[in-house]
Amino acid sequence: MAQLQTIPTRPARVAALNRRYRHRAAIQVLREALSDPELGRVAMVSSFGADSVALLHMISLIDRTTPVLFIDTQMLFPETLTYQAEVAAKLGLTDVRTIRATPAAIAAADPDGDLNQTNPDACCDLRKTVPLNRALSSFDSWITGRKRFQGATRSEMEFFEEDPAGDRIKINPLAHWTARDVADYIANNRLPRHPLVSKGYPSIGCMPCTSPVKEGEDPRAGRWRGQDKTECGIHFVNGKMQRIPPAAPAPFVPADGQPVIVRDSGFGPEDWTGPILDLASDADLDDPDLRVGDATMIRIAFPSFTDGRGFTLARRLRVAGYKGRLRATGYVIADQLPMARRSGFDEVEIDADLARRQPWPHWRDAADAAPSYLKKLGRRAS
Amino acid sequence: MYHHSEFDRAFVIDRAERFRDQVNRRISGALTEEEFRPLRLMNGVYLQLHAYMLRIAIPYGTISPDQMRRLAHIADRWDKGYGHFTTRQNIQFNWPKLVDIPDMLDSLAEVGMHAIQTSGNTIRNVTADHFSGAAADEIADPRPYAELIRQWSTDHPEFQFLPRKFKIAVSGSPNDRAVVKSHDIGLRMVRRDDQIGFEVSVGGGLGRTPLVGKVVNEFVPTTDLLPYLEAILSAYNTVGRRDNKYKARLKIAVQELGIDHIRELVEARFAETRPMFDGSDQAVLAEIAKQFAQPELVEGRSTAAYDAARDADPVFRSWADTNLHDHKNPDYAIVTVSTKKHGATPGDATSDQMRLLADIAEEYGQGDLRISHEQNVVMPHIHRADLPAIHAKLREAGLGTANIGLVSDIIACPGLDYCALATARSIPIAQQIATRFDELKLEHEIGELKIKISGCINACGHHHVGHIGILGLDRAGVENYQVTLGGDGTETMSVGERAGPGFSKDEIIPAIERLVQGYLAIREDEDETFLQAYRRLGPAPFKAALYPAEEKAA
Ligand code: SF4
Ligand code: SF4
Repeated sequence: MAQLQTIPTRPARVAALNRRYRHRAAIQVLREALSDPELGRVAMVSSFGADSVALLHMISLIDRTTPVLFIDTQMLFPETLTYQAEVAAKLGLTDVRTIRATPAAIAAADPDGDLNQTNPDACCDLRKTVPLNRALSSFDSWITGRKRFQGATRSEMEFFEEDPAGDRIKINPLAHWTARDVADYIANNRLPRHPLVSKGYPSIGCMPCTSPVKEGEDPRAGRWRGQDKTECGIHFVNGKMQRIPPAAPAPFVPADGQPVIVRDSGFGPEDWTGPILDLASDADLDDPDLRVGDATMIRIAFPSFTDGRGFTLARRLRVAGYKGRLRATGYVIADQLPMARRSGFDEVEIDADLARRQPWPHWRDAADAAPSYLKKLGRRAS
Repeated sequence: MYHHSEFDRAFVIDRAERFRDQVNRRISGALTEEEFRPLRLMNGVYLQLHAYMLRIAIPYGTISPDQMRRLAHIADRWDKGYGHFTTRQNIQFNWPKLVDIPDMLDSLAEVGMHAIQTSGNTIRNVTADHFSGAAADEIADPRPYAELIRQWSTDHPEFQFLPRKFKIAVSGSPNDRAVVKSHDIGLRMVRRDDQIGFEVSVGGGLGRTPLVGKVVNEFVPTTDLLPYLEAILSAYNTVGRRDNKYKARLKIAVQELGIDHIRELVEARFAETRPMFDGSDQAVLAEIAKQFAQPELVEGRSTAAYDAARDADPVFRSWADTNLHDHKNPDYAIVTVSTKKHGATPGDATSDQMRLLADIAEEYGQGDLRISHEQNVVMPHIHRADLPAIHAKLREAGLGTANIGLVSDIIACPGLDYCALATARSIPIAQQIATRFDELKLEHEIGELKIKISGCINACGHHHVGHIGILGLDRAGVENYQVTLGGDGTETMSVGERAGPGFSKDEIIPAIERLVQGYLAIREDEDETFLQAYRRLGPAPFKAALYPAEEKAA
């Protein structure tokens, strides 16, 4: 007990991972990454753009419940939204999470939807980087579809990289693929293509920032055409020109008897239709009958906000490798949202009364990341 | 000493802002009183008998002159011109208004201070030996470890709603001046081969069920400290009882489940927590340790002024005999300034006294000030040649009392004068005992004797570990004081035994006087302390002195 162990630093871990996986094919990298304890909880981030379907298809073969984060900048082509739904259904992906900037953030920074004209970097920040980082905060690693051929900025890219934006690891299973590999894979597996590809868009982002490219041009030449910009705050891109901002979605109103789900993006209605494993606050995780491994959603009860056992349960589940959705339910107050998130919960379920007494802004302000000592001390959240 | 970093500053400012927001939400009704309660407690705000009380952390008892001056400012601006040092190296202000507290927290944040986790069911302010970094007998300065633990425990998301409060103490020396075995986790630094580590005990505590901590692991290397602590907390958060607040401390779990069961549980959890730490904490620790580097001491300066003052001035000599401890460097001394002038409230300091202490520490003492768990103020690095000048300044300010470790150096909790839970007064009893022995002029003859007084069974005055403990109870509306004998709060920790029936508030002072006179009559020689005599002879002769009438009747 209490043996001295050497725990490698993150850069060393990344280097070791790259060595270990050097000669693997994309699907092998992906398969092992999804079960490698070193990589912790893994999400896939996808734009549902021109090439995305290849990687999504591989994911669906390995584990259809893998969380897939789809960033809706609210500036996307309508075709992308339709295509997203079509691909998710066809591949049977069960946990596609749509990530958006909060209505408040948009109202504050880009009320007229024209920030992309004046300051595209700020626009990408607002609509992609910030929401994505928030969504990724409950994961240890994320899978991207980036490829070396996509540009000079990516020519050195490895399977595993440190994510400079947070202490996570980026996994790039397609790092060594060429455009040809992607096209072949899609054709061989008869996967649906994005409808805009046939209209001359080999790379598809937001409407204001994407235009078709001509024969022989770099496929990404259509992105931020005429600007210095080649990469957005995150790596892949959506883009478009839209003079009239899309109508804001109708605000969610808590209704009596209906649960309110609190996430980083705001209050929302119940959206889970699958089976739920309910755990009491005194659940014994060491009980072999508990079969947490089979669950896709675990919900932990908070009989009182003063009963902090659920935080330890959540953290233990995450450390044990549980990667599904994790929800705190019952009497949790706004000030506990950051504790819940940092202990491994994805979301909180409360009743309408509490949601009215402590409306979303209280939760949002409480969740605003405080500096974290644990992060500084190199303690993983799970 | 540790200089709070930009990170620390950002953290406390953020926290003060959050608390301001919480107060506003309480006022608007978005937070119920019940919901607000743990939030204000984890920010150090108590509701006391007469008013709110703000308890500010002095982590591991170390405070800079600027911080001390800021406390003086706070006392003047928002309180009644004084503060009260507690037995857990905190300072309390007893009269703030709730609406002022956010401003007080902002003011503290400017000098890197805070009241975070000084109350509530959280990991409390970590305490450490008040002679750290100066004592001749220490293996290593425990404060870097205490600071590491402070950072780890601050705002730890998993442990803000524990079954009950949780206290950790660290000692860097085999002579335990931090009473580590009376804490939920006690860390005693030990050396094994070339490695430094900690003997970890769990389940100590005073309160209504005083228990001595049991060793759960004889040697945890410093590299494993945080994962190991995390394993203990994780286990406690699972098995700590939540059905009865009087049985919720870790000590009860250890008592009910047995130390072996707890050890197994902790080891299983340690297997989970160890891989969660990637080793960066060791780099942070190394950075912290640099800041606790030994101060530069003057070599070769004569100490003749000290020797001359000793010979010439009996008042100075008596102060030097009781209030100085050996420093690693023989030209230096560790000065303990008594906040326990005979008849004063133990632990209280006025704003002027705080400013004076800050000035002295800056001019003579490397800017290093400590608060001891015995509620005194320590200046750990004073050149002996400066002692006469310092003593003169202290005397003028009412801080020159020569009673450290003596009968009037009493620990007393706030008791019925301030505390909502109290069943009896404790401060007036302390004042009367001190005054009485001052009149008798026996204090120095008696020698080391620790009297500790609590105003109710929660035992904040640590009466269980007093050589003489006094517990104030309420018997049918009348204050009644029970005496315990033979307690010890050092590495030979023991819990005092009840002597017999209690005494009324008029009887207690004569009873203590009889007890002490009885000890003087039976001790072997003047080197045998009260505790040694008690251990040699057992309780009988002491009880006889306390209850002479019964003796006759028998
Ligand atoms: S791609 Fe254009 S519209 Fe889309 S987020 Fe970036 S700047 Fe805004
Ligand atoms: S011992 Fe009792 S009276 Fe004294 S401070 Fe503690 S709770 Fe209050």
